[in-house]
Amino acid sequence: MRKRLGSLTLVALALTSVPASAQGPIRIGASLSLTGTYAEPGTFQSEGYKLCERDLNAKGGLLGRKIEMVVYDDQSMPATGVRLYEKLITEDKVDAVMGPYSSAISEAVANVTEKYKKVMVAPLAATTSIFKKGRRYAFMVISPAEVYLEGLVDIAAKRKLKTIAIINEDTLFPKASAQGTEELAKKAGLQVVFKEAYPKGNQDFSALLIKLKSTNPDVLAAATYFDDAVALARQMKELDVTPKMTAVTVGGDLPKFQELLKQTAEGIYGASQWEGTLPYPGAKEFFDAYVKEFKHEPSYHSAAGYAGCVLYAEGVKKAGTLEADKVRDALLALRTRTMFGDYQVDKDGFQIAHKMVLLQWQEGKRVVVWPDDLANGKPRFPR
Amino acid sequence: MNVVVTPAMLGQVLLSGVLSGALYALVALGLSLIFGVMRVINIAHGPLLMLGAYVTYFLYTKAGMNPFLTVPVSMAALFLVGLLLQRALVFRVVGQPELSSLLLTFGVSIALVNLTQLAFSSNIRTVEYITGSWIVGGLAVSKSRFIAFLFALAVTALAFAFLKFTRVGKAIRATSQSREVALVCGINVARIHRLTFGLASALAAGGGALLAVIVAIQPEMGAVWTFKSFLVIVLGGAGNYPGALLGGLLLGLVEQVASLFLTTQLSEVVAYVLLVLVLIVRPSGLLGGRTT
Repeated sequence: MRKRLGSLTLVALALTSVPASAQGPIRIGASLSLTGTYAEPGTFQSEGYKLCERDLNAKGGLLGRKIEMVVYDDQSMPATGVRLYEKLITEDKVDAVMGPYSSAISEAVANVTEKYKKVMVAPLAATTSIFKKGRRYAFMVISPAEVYLEGLVDIAAKRKLKTIAIINEDTLFPKASAQGTEELAKKAGLQVVFKEAYPKGNQDFSALLIKLKSTNPDVLAAATYFDDAVALARQMKELDVTPKMTAVTVGGDLPKFQELLKQTAEGIYGASQWEGTLPYPGAKEFFDAYVKEFKHEPSYHSAAGYAGCVLYAEGVKKAGTLEADKVRDALLALRTRTMFGDYQVDKDGFQIAHKMVLLQWQEGKRVVVWPDDLANGKPRFPR
Repeated sequence: MNVVVTPAMLGQVLLSGVLSGALYALVALGLSLIFGVMRVINIAHGPLLMLGAYVTYFLYTKAGMNPFLTVPVSMAALFLVGLLLQRALVFRVVGQPELSSLLLTFGVSIALVNLTQLAFSSNIRTVEYITGSWIVGGLAVSKSRFIAFLFALAVTALAFAFLKFTRVGKAIRATSQSREVALVCGINVARIHRLTFGLASALAAGGGALLAVIVAIQPEMGAVWTFKSFLVIVLGGAGNYPGALLGGLLLGLVEQVASLFLTTQLSEVVAYVLLVLVLIVRPSGLLGGRTT
């Protein structure tokens, strides 16, 4: 009997003093748009998460535990995202969450993560309002929607172009982006001659482009996602709409844009949060590792996903715990430069340090044309 | 900010409307056929169109075929798919309450979209074959859309000739008018149903093959076409085949003109308001639906 008690005590002791590494992995949940309208950028983001998971684990994990990502497909629908985050937190009981793709879905699921007091680094949410509603646990990584086309407006103003047309998909991010562009344009002395929104999933831009053409703008700023950017570029060519500068927000930066459009992509500007060629610490290593792992180049969505995951891990390391309030404090205080660029947030978790770049498709290649200190080429104008 | 609509702009928009209207008519004719003959509303019509677009995409990229010449191949392939679907599944709900056919074809539609996603991923693809436009009398005529328009006209005309002049076409129309009388006249109704479903799928595929040259291809591209086709046949008169033509053209024009005078967002609203108006004023459609 005594012997048995002794061994029981031993077992009990062993159980209470389990080393951290034997605790099982830290499970991080997220929903991503792997199908549907946002499938293209959403898939890039998921690859960023995957690579981050791998790299963190290779370096011994987090707090001595392995990392395991639990990713579901929200089919590009906010309502599905909300359901999935509820499931991740209440049924799967994940230890932490990461943000989904797009502002619209981040906005929707932030209500869930706030409710359960989970820190959510939302690497692909670019809409200011998401972070300005008094939410405590949401953190922004990329530059806000409003400044996506800052470079376009700046180049146009320097070039003494006069008029600008602004169109956008009627969802959260493109709307904010269009509004921001309008304000920047007015400040730079450009006249806004045309403005119109179109519904999500729109494939026929003919009437819109005909109206736009009649106002003869020097610059076209289109706040798009991917599919609409492709359709728009094709129809502009069909309808012979040729402003001196044409920029799209999301889509124009993806390699696929040029693959799909070939010659039609030539000269179009895209906005990017990140390029593999930018001189950030670890950017090149990330780029090479990514190409090796996934057999194609990363987009900024990949890089932001990766950076978001790294930043969260940084916050946890600084806090020394997974406890939401402590991780929150650590992320609020954090100032750093990752392979994705600068990170610093204000008291609302709103990003204030990261910089956008503007690029242009020149002879089938992406050339960074703005800002000057990061550029590797000059903008080209039609003769 | 104020856009002044000039006659040239109106002309351009009317042209766009006619060009897309012909495609609507072609695709909706298939839906109308199935409804006329079997009283089945085929929710999977759009996904069948999507499959047609994929056939064209792969023939163009893998076999280097001219995408416009893939139209008959795509149609033939989907004719077989339609035949099989009818033989395996859809025949079970013919003559059943309409809800059963809605549920069944809805299920088929989900299955087709998701199988396509599994097989080809949800990446969007394009067939960059002809781009740019011809400038005719101040109007920009999109090359790809205009050629697609001509093909749509040709296929629709052939379909009408088939229905009007061939024995099988006559049998289809007879079955559509009265299944019982057709049976009494010695028509193999089950066979006609299979052919009809095959033919309708082929028409959807024809539309898909032509769309492949115009818009981006992805597994979910079909859903909106189910709705548009439905709108078209309600406008024109369900089961009334010339009605599909009129409805298609009308929808194309209404969408474009509404986008010009209002906004692109409101154009969809206008199309559905039109639908409601037609249902109130002429519930059987503009040209009158088929009565049982």
